[in-house]
Amino acid sequence: MKKTLTLAFGLVISLLALSQAALAIPAFARKYGYNCNMCHVAFPKLNDWGQRFRDNGYQTPGQAGLERTVFEAGIPLAFRTNAGYSVYHGEEGTTSGFHLYNLDLLAAGVLHKNISFLFVYTPRVDEPAADFTGPGDGDNPAQLAAIESANIVFSNIVRDKLNLRVGRFEPGFQLLSSKRNYYILQPFESYGFVGSRNGFDFSANHIGVEATGRFKPGLKYALGFINGSGANPDNNRFGDLYFALSKTFGRGEGQSAGQRFGVFGYFGWQPADPGAPIVSPLGDAAGQSNKNFYRLGGDVSLNWKTLNLQAMAFRGVDDAAFNDIDPAEDYEFWGGVVQLDWAAMANNRLVGSVMYNWVRPPSAGSMGKIDAYSALARYYLGSWSAVNVALHAEYTHRLVGSVLPFKEDLFTLLLDFDF
Amino acid sequence: MRYKSYLLILCACLLVAGSIAMSASPDQETPPITQVNVQVLGPQRLGPLPPVIAPPGNPQSSAKIHLGKELYFDTRLSADGTISCATCHNPALGWSDAGPTSAGIRGQLGGRRSPPVSNAAYAPLQFWDGRSPSLEDQAKGPIQNPIEMGNTHQAMIQTIDAISGYIEEFREVFGEGPITVDQVADAIAAFERTVVTTDSKFDRYARGDHQALTPLERRGLEVFNGKGHCTSCHWGPYFSDGRFHNLGVPAKDPKNPDRGRYDVTKDPRDMGAFKTPTVRDAARRPPYLHDGSEKTLESLIDFYDRGGGKDPNLDPLMVPLGLTKNEKSALVAFIKALDSLNPEVADVKPIAPGDYHK
Repeated sequence: MKKTLTLAFGLVISLLALSQAALAIPAFARKYGYNCNMCHVAFPKLNDWGQRFRDNGYQTPGQAGLERTVFEAGIPLAFRTNAGYSVYHGEEGTTSGFHLYNLDLLAAGVLHKNISFLFVYTPRVDEPAADFTGPGDGDNPAQLAAIESANIVFSNIVRDKLNLRVGRFEPGFQLLSSKRNYYILQPFESYGFVGSRNGFDFSANHIGVEATGRFKPGLKYALGFINGSGANPDNNRFGDLYFALSKTFGRGEGQSAGQRFGVFGYFGWQPADPGAPIVSPLGDAAGQSNKNFYRLGGDVSLNWKTLNLQAMAFRGVDDAAFNDIDPAEDYEFWGGVVQLDWAAMANNRLVGSVMYNWVRPPSAGSMGKIDAYSALARYYLGSWSAVNVALHAEYTHRLVGSVLPFKEDLFTLLLDFDF
Repeated sequence: MRYKSYLLILCACLLVAGSIAMSASPDQETPPITQVNVQVLGPQRLGPLPPVIAPPGNPQSSAKIHLGKELYFDTRLSADGTISCATCHNPALGWSDAGPTSAGIRGQLGGRRSPPVSNAAYAPLQFWDGRSPSLEDQAKGPIQNPIEMGNTHQAMIQTIDAISGYIEEFREVFGEGPITVDQVADAIAAFERTVVTTDSKFDRYARGDHQALTPLERRGLEVFNGKGHCTSCHWGPYFSDGRFHNLGVPAKDPKNPDRGRYDVTKDPRDMGAFKTPTVRDAARRPPYLHDGSEKTLESLIDFYDRGGGKDPNLDPLMVPLGLTKNEKSALVAFIKALDSLNPEVADVKPIAPGDYHK
């Protein structure tokens, strides 16, 4: 019994670890006097206006230099957290309990015309308890404090066509943002999937430099050069490269209007041998037996009235040196997500969503096959100046493995709020 | 070695980006503190209007306001004695006119809608294209516009100078000396600074009377400040950013489109851009947009809901809104809740011809 509970608890914690701290920045709402839904379909999901605001370096689209900087607008601080009750059901039993799931401390604003910043700190929350020594303890990122984002943006170096983001940031190859999704506990499975010994995490924020821009009509790009090892110093002597290219047909950015189609690719290197003969005083390692891997995929975001259908799929290929299952072959897998969101009621006070995630590792490694079916509803409380408290219900049915898959269900009721 | 190269490239990128970004804004030198106003500082929260501040060179006085009111309603300022300021900026029509564009002397039609005089005191720039920096400067324009009042400043002064009542009043307000066009403009501007709507259902709600707005109007306020994106331009107590935007309004004459703000700045980014009008009292003065092309509030909201019109210089603030029928109804209700309840403004009556100075 104890073993079952421990396993179940461990799985819940694993889901929490996979879940992404999401962004919504009330500091901006305070600065401008806008309701959250100026930038968000409903927080944290950006609408087209909010996407343009973000793309323009957190400046009003088309009006760089015509607004207050952080020195004039006051301290640009914001908080987001969520707490609630979860019920987990696995094949061997059921557990339940209250949790504090996330806490984000955010600061963002304009420093000077076309120079802005974003800072997100996620302190350790008591999840699990400090003395927890169960499965995965010590390896679980949910236990750890982290600077999720710390970057500065140089906007409009060439008007609309070239912006640079430097620091730690959410990379632009994630055309569907896991940080600004409605789902709190259910991540994009394929983003966080690590099937081989290649420890690269597609969902992580990364350190480096990224160029972005847009060309009329509706064509956007992102090019990045990063460590490729999440928050950590580079673990090999190569930087990683990525690109994203998207085209939106019709008006909008594909977030809440327009029809967007995109492709993205990531090309990186990881050491296949954990030994590190050369380590700099800053922690950068030369790595050993560095081998390459890539991710290549596409996404689509279609809008009709207040419905938004998003889909993303990509192929991951890791060098055979990372493949413990069949060392003679590259490790290849497919993964993706389809998500349908519906915004209802005046000012999108109610949103509903269904989502399907899948990961298809190679047949030899089909134990890692994942299918996850999720649904949620969020109802927002607030006033004309802010709708910043969400009553959130989320359910996921998850299947892992292909033969007699392990089944699990997670239902959560929580309050998600920021201010 | 390769690592070193990457590091150098990254440092170079940072330096280049920083220097380009800084050097890209030579026009952004810190302005003198007196030039910093609410419009420069950017979006402000919706709320009641603050008191009007008169410029130091044209302080308010009862006599000057009275004189300005007389001039405002006096058709003798026009070349043929048929057009006054109030002809196109009629208190009974929301301090605008029936439109879609305004008819001036000899029935000549202008290309643009008559902007409202009410609350114009809060606008940092006057006219749809912002070519005038003050009410005083604005007041001089229509008098000598050939399709508005069709007069000359000199002829207008000669007319006023021949009316003994005006001579006495100008002497009382401005002291001894000849009547000047600047004095006429100062007096009209002083009157216009009293045409301020400080009281509406929204203002009462914003001051704490939570029953002042109906539930539908409150929903409309929320949409106005959120999903409707109205406050991205219509922000602050004045419900306008005082800036210029291209909404993609179809040109009535595609071969000779109205270039708007571009004609003032010659900046290509201003092509087809027009000043954001205040939403206060908007329900009282259809039709809408700079050319009066949208006849009702409902059709205006449909226009915005589509993301505006088509134009290569369309403002990036314009995005399709995805508003539902209920949200549109709520928006209309809220905009009507911005109608002035100020009797001293709404009930301003023209001065009867018999009461004018002869």
